[in-house]
Amino acid sequence: MHTLPMYPTILIDLVGSGLMILITFLALRYAYFLSTLDSKNFIWGFLFYFCMAMAAFSISRGVGHILKQILVLSGHKETWKVFSPYSGGFNTTLMIYLYAVIIYYHKGLAAYEAIQEEASKLFTANKKLEDATGELQKMNVQLEDMVEERTRELSESEKKFRHFFENSQDMVYFCNSEGSISDINQSGLEMLGYKEWPKDLNILDIFNKESELETYVKALHEKGFVRDFEIEIHNADGDPLQVVITANAVRDDNGKMIGCEGIAKDLTRLKNVMAQLADKQKLASVGQLAAGVAHEINTPLGVILGYSQLMKEDFPEDDDNYESMVVIERQAKACRKIVADLLKFSRQGLSEKTYMQLNEIIQDVVAVTEHGLNIDHIMVTRKYSEGMPFIFCDVEKLRQVFINLINNAHHAMEEGGEIIISTRTCADGQEVEVVVEDTGKGIPDDVRSKIFEPFFTTKAVGKGTGLGLSVSYGIIQDHGGTITVESPVAGKDHPGTAFTIHLPVASEQPSAESFESVLKLH
Amino acid sequence: MKIIRHHLFKIIPFTVTFLLLGLSGVAQAFQAHGAPEGLYVHQMSHVLFMCGLAYLYWHTRRTAALVSKGWRYLRSYCVLLILWNILAFTGHAIETILVPDDFLNSGSWGSVMLEPLTLPKIVFYIVKMDHLLCVPAAFFLLFSLRTFYLEHKGEE
Repeated sequence: MHTLPMYPTILIDLVGSGLMILITFLALRYAYFLSTLDSKNFIWGFLFYFCMAMAAFSISRGVGHILKQILVLSGHKETWKVFSPYSGGFNTTLMIYLYAVIIYYHKGLAAYEAIQEEASKLFTANKKLEDATGELQKMNVQLEDMVEERTRELSESEKKFRHFFENSQDMVYFCNSEGSISDINQSGLEMLGYKEWPKDLNILDIFNKESELETYVKALHEKGFVRDFEIEIHNADGDPLQVVITANAVRDDNGKMIGCEGIAKDLTRLKNVMAQLADKQKLASVGQLAAGVAHEINTPLGVILGYSQLMKEDFPEDDDNYESMVVIERQAKACRKIVADLLKFSRQGLSEKTYMQLNEIIQDVVAVTEHGLNIDHIMVTRKYSEGMPFIFCDVEKLRQVFINLINNAHHAMEEGGEIIISTRTCADGQEVEVVVEDTGKGIPDDVRSKIFEPFFTTKAVGKGTGLGLSVSYGIIQDHGGTITVESPVAGKDHPGTAFTIHLPVASEQPSAESFESVLKLH
Repeated sequence: MKIIRHHLFKIIPFTVTFLLLGLSGVAQAFQAHGAPEGLYVHQMSHVLFMCGLAYLYWHTRRTAALVSKGWRYLRSYCVLLILWNILAFTGHAIETILVPDDFLNSGSWGSVMLEPLTLPKIVFYIVKMDHLLCVPAAFFLLFSLRTFYLEHKGEE
């Protein structure tokens, strides 16, 4: 009889059951690790759940099989019959349970995929957002760089304009619509004579002439600017200043004027120089004219004088004709003196120059004139500088200049006063200066520009020829010097007048011995 | 641990319900259940389990994202376990037609299957060695989980 032994199946059943339990638990262990790595992952959750069910099924089935083999082989088949339904029931249930888990996977995975899809969309959106943020950050950095660069450029520009503003030699100002100055540079303050900026300073208040102010305001409001507008203003001390002003109106978005900005250049000095040049030109013309006239008159005048002297001898002294001839001779001589003065003014006269110290000439003149001055209560104050260099000059002519100046000062102070004569070396030792200043009533503006003109006088008829200052002017010009007048005198309590003469120092300075010999000659 | 606790909350009520209603001796159901019902239910559970595995195989294969080595192991597991279910199902079916006289010395190591060795007997003999299928299947499950774990850990 052929039989088939069943022990291989028993053996495989026992070993296989054990292995199933072992292997499924190992799988469960990895599933657990997986779920701990990423607890939010549905797939790993499902596998963990599935492995748990599989492990339970392996235990149920494996333990059942092993128990069966043990009980049956040990002769306890009846006992196994008690456990058998439980084992089978567990196995059945766990297989259904495994099925349920797989179905759970089906639904869960769909939900998980939907979530994943949303997460993917969210991720994509986040990525886009991140990219956009990155782009934005990049743009922000670029913007910051641009702002930094613009700020740097602005700073440089501001520095440049601030430098221009602060170092400009002209007045640069900014003011509001009422003219109140909101900012002004140091040159402007100095021009206006302020050490510190007075906060209530108003550009409209410094105009001297109402008509110029009106023109300035009107031009700013209507045209929006003024260009090279010459005006007269005054400084903090009230002294007039000639300035040329260029200003622009500052307007808001609506075109309303909210202020103005401008530059003003001080032309006072330039104007004075120009006026002096004009005077010089005029005096030079007059001098040439006077020289021509003098030459033409001198000859017939000499004839008149000669004939009058000859004819005078033809009449007895008590004769009326004799008296007439004397009058003709006297008037002819007066005319000749005038002609001589005219020639001196026009520098046509003879000149004898020598080395001399200015103080010596002035001392001689003061010595002669002081007595007469003192009678009229005029005091002479001497402020001579010591050790002044020699000048090469016509001593007589210079004496005449100083006599003229002192006489003029005398006439200006009929009720007494003071004449201050000061000398000094200036222009780095290249020039000497003498100032003859009085405390008189000063010279009116309209007269000041004419005082060096020949025959111009404010004295009564017959009291002056009007040639004193013009002759003095001619003499100083002949010596290569300058003579200027200042009236009223700045910084003094009285109006007064000051004549300032500059003369060049001699190119060669004589020794003390030769100077003594010169003094003896004079 | 949180996951285990979470799963236990689902398993315990399910198991208690099963024990209360599923005890064959003291069944609480109103309907009477004869002896073959247990076998039928068990066979149905094999079919259900097999269907579940087939679905798992089909779904993991058609899902483009599940192409890694771990999923291939899992699909091998599904195939082997489906075969095991068929084998077990067949074994349970054949068991009903075999009689004690077909065996000698039952309940001992010396137990043998008597001739004639009909097809049902041979099939029964083979299906009694079903562990030759389910143990490799369990290995594939282990390989699958291990591969997933190593891959995921590598990513981490």
